[in-house]
Amino acid sequence: MFDRRLLTHFDWSFVAAILGMAALGILTIYSANTMATSAFRKSLYLRQTLWAGMGMVGLIAACLVSYRTLWRFAYVIFGVSVALLVLVLVMGKTGMGAQRWIRIAGFAFQPSEFAKLGLVLFLARYFDDQRNAIRDVRGLLLPVGLSALCMLLVLKQPDLGTALLLGFITLSMLLMLGLQWRRLMPVIIGGGALAPLLWVALKDYQRRRILVFLNPDLDPLGAGYHIAQSKIAVGSGGAFGKGWLAASQSQLNFLPLNHTDFIFAVLAEQWGFLGCLVVLLTYFYLITKGFQIARDCTDLFAALLASGISTMLAIQVLINTTMVLGLMPVVGIPLPLLSYGGSSLLVTMLGMGLLLNIHMRRFMY
Amino acid sequence: MSVDPVLPTPSQTLTPRIQTAVLCVGIAFLALLLRLWYLQILEGDRFFALSTSNRLRVRPVEAPRGFILDRHGEILVENRPTFDLFATPEDVVNPDEVAATLAGILRAPVAEIQARLAEGGDRPYQPLLIRKDLDEQMMVAVEERRLDLPGISLRIRPTRAYPSGGIAANLLGYVSEVNQAQLQREEFQDFRPGENLGQAGVERRFDAFIRGIDGGEQVEVDARGRALRLVSRLEPRSGSNIYLTIDKRIQEAAEAAFAGKKGTVVAMNPTTGEILAMVSRPSYDPNMFAQRLTAEEWQRIADDATHPLQNRAFQAQYPPGSVFKLMVAIAGLESGALTPETKFGCPGYFYLGNVRFDDWKKGGHGTLDLRSAIVNSCNVYFYQAGLKVGIEEMTRVARAFGLGDPPGLGLGDEAAGSLPNPQPRRRGQPGWSAGNTVVASIGQGPVVTSPMQLLSMVSAIANGGTIYRPFVVKRIAALSGEVLDEYEPEPLRHLSIKPETLAFIRQAMLGVVNEGTGFRAKVPGIPIGGKTGTAQVVRKGEGKGNAELKDHGWFVSFAPVDNPQIAVVVLVENGGFGGLVAAPVAKAVHEAAFGARSPFARQEPADIKEPEIGD
Repeated sequence: MFDRRLLTHFDWSFVAAILGMAALGILTIYSANTMATSAFRKSLYLRQTLWAGMGMVGLIAACLVSYRTLWRFAYVIFGVSVALLVLVLVMGKTGMGAQRWIRIAGFAFQPSEFAKLGLVLFLARYFDDQRNAIRDVRGLLLPVGLSALCMLLVLKQPDLGTALLLGFITLSMLLMLGLQWRRLMPVIIGGGALAPLLWVALKDYQRRRILVFLNPDLDPLGAGYHIAQSKIAVGSGGAFGKGWLAASQSQLNFLPLNHTDFIFAVLAEQWGFLGCLVVLLTYFYLITKGFQIARDCTDLFAALLASGISTMLAIQVLINTTMVLGLMPVVGIPLPLLSYGGSSLLVTMLGMGLLLNIHMRRFMY
Repeated sequence: MSVDPVLPTPSQTLTPRIQTAVLCVGIAFLALLLRLWYLQILEGDRFFALSTSNRLRVRPVEAPRGFILDRHGEILVENRPTFDLFATPEDVVNPDEVAATLAGILRAPVAEIQARLAEGGDRPYQPLLIRKDLDEQMMVAVEERRLDLPGISLRIRPTRAYPSGGIAANLLGYVSEVNQAQLQREEFQDFRPGENLGQAGVERRFDAFIRGIDGGEQVEVDARGRALRLVSRLEPRSGSNIYLTIDKRIQEAAEAAFAGKKGTVVAMNPTTGEILAMVSRPSYDPNMFAQRLTAEEWQRIADDATHPLQNRAFQAQYPPGSVFKLMVAIAGLESGALTPETKFGCPGYFYLGNVRFDDWKKGGHGTLDLRSAIVNSCNVYFYQAGLKVGIEEMTRVARAFGLGDPPGLGLGDEAAGSLPNPQPRRRGQPGWSAGNTVVASIGQGPVVTSPMQLLSMVSAIANGGTIYRPFVVKRIAALSGEVLDEYEPEPLRHLSIKPETLAFIRQAMLGVVNEGTGFRAKVPGIPIGGKTGTAQVVRKGEGKGNAELKDHGWFVSFAPVDNPQIAVVVLVENGGFGGLVAAPVAKAVHEAAFGARSPFARQEPADIKEPEIGD
């Protein structure tokens, strides 16, 4: 299973970038919680470090497994992640009014995060098996249906952000495979007709989120406040930032969720435009590298997997940063590698590990 | 995963799309950078100014806690507005001068004020509570010296008030700031320091309903922390009101009758399980928790050997003494070991082998049947009856009546008491002996019960054999009147005891009050059934003069015997004979319940639909 030759293809700079981002995440979480009032909050960066450690192990494990094995178990892994989604609805630990976590041995796992990877694996495997599926609507029924099922299960938790994310990922992978826009037309029109229904189906606070995005003054203490404070925090960083531990706006209780969804604001306040530039460039590097790996694949499954993972990373980064910068309604999507969140970190690093895996073995087949 | 030569290779299909994807991502990132440029470079100075000199602050507006009322709507716990003094440490630019000024106004030592200010060290932007409930003179003084007190502000906040004095303090509980230890725990991670929390009793168990939802204000403040303008405000949502099953009249009567005593009085409706009154002494003044207690004050309360914070009604346990004889009698009647005609002789003592067991009455009671033995609480009769009935049967019946298990009030930890667990003789263990049975028959030795358990037991005797779950909360209602939750009586189990047995026991208990040891509980016109009990704290002869080692006095009762509507248990710690000290307390409670202006006779106001006690 482990071949010396693989080492020569091990991309050290790729791994260095990932580790660097994870470390930056830990540091930023630490700084974000220096003003926290509970000792529990203050210790979160230590938990993140623990998760990062697990993530590293996961990354290495993902490198070592042959992707023939991945291919074989793709459906199984997807089945398991769907089962976990059902499980969390039934018995999940509640936090912040949502049922998102399952507790194992003192650690809280978020099945919706693992479902992202599961979905990518499933779609990659399915379209590798069914080469013609992309050509007509009938072939699309199953993958789109199952993807919608995942979205629904996640939406029930409720987790609007991740549900949308799953939808975006599916859409992007279909487009990647050559889904023609023409075929999309009836769907778009149908979706447009369904929108009022969707509006009704959304929960109160989810509707409020969208309304507040359009008019932040509607909710001065909640989402509107978030957006206002986030912009102040980001903007006040200026060109070079306020410096380490000096991000007063975002450290104070004025920016709730500062160590999770809004961690980018903390970063921006501390390190300014320069810091943001570096971080965004690193993300861009990771994403394009991922697509490069996909392009160089001779194997369809691997190519789909690689592009799926890269898409996943790209969409999450874009959604989160646009939200923090006030360009998008507040949806709960963590920033990969930087936000506090064990499952997100773990899943991202697993995905990166898979990319490395594909990259290392591209000459083996 | 094959490479099919007929279909295009993956790279042929995907590459152009991948390139498109990368292009799209690139454009998106570029847009992000442009936005960042706008926010940070072009508008950076403006945002920087917003973040330092003119600031947005969110201040919580505390929600008023819900009231706690008795079953008729009489207010037991409410709120009153107090003016509280806060400091935002970051804005107190000259802490020493400010401390000196405040010390003068508040008439407190400078060192104490300085210490309070220093507490906010790691949270300089959080308002810190310095003093609660300023009087008018202090408020005026603070307002006058505003300019000398940067970072100091006055806020009106709701504080708990107790219009009925401190009655039922142990049951109601108290409210105080969330403490350091609690803040460390994950379940309290969203609590701010200084936020109030129900810490005991009903206030704690139902805190989630009572506390409401805080609102907040978005305020723009200047560099000195003074509010420049109110940006917006979110109104708080008041907590819900809790209607207890307690009847204030009966509670007050019980409190008054128990003045100067230690122990507990509990009254319950035996047909529903509703607690009508609950007294636990020694108690405490809930108002003292409204102010922040110093660490020393806390320690003093925690270390107090009399345990004023404990609710003795269900958290303390004692030997039941002669009250347990009812269990022996019932066990005997059910198994056939005893009949109403069973007679034993009592010369004042009893020999089991070489060991002598005394009766409390020197000279004895003569020969008695079962009823007389209960009425006169004859120990020697029950020594013999207990041996005849057997420890297993006795224990089985006791367990059926709920002794040995926590009653399930849901107000916190409950004493479970303990029942005998007879083991045969084994190596190293002496095993259960007849002597143990003799002692257990009069409710001493290995038998221990909480007052609540005995109350449930008596209620089951009174109502014909059903154990109800005791409960204190009748209803939870929002401020609008909308009922959020209503609690109904919950029968836990029905005992398979012959109705004749229970009827006999009830009659015997009537005799206890009419002619027997419980005569001090008699109320003219009301047939009351009862049983006295005296639980030894130390063995006879040892330190009997010491007041702390005096026996505990019990009295359990129910009334009226033919249609019981109230059951009462009284436990006077170190009070002496139950018939002497506990029975009169029960009498006062019954008088309050059935007297001329009793709650039973009360006309209900038309708009409150309340069941009569006994409905």
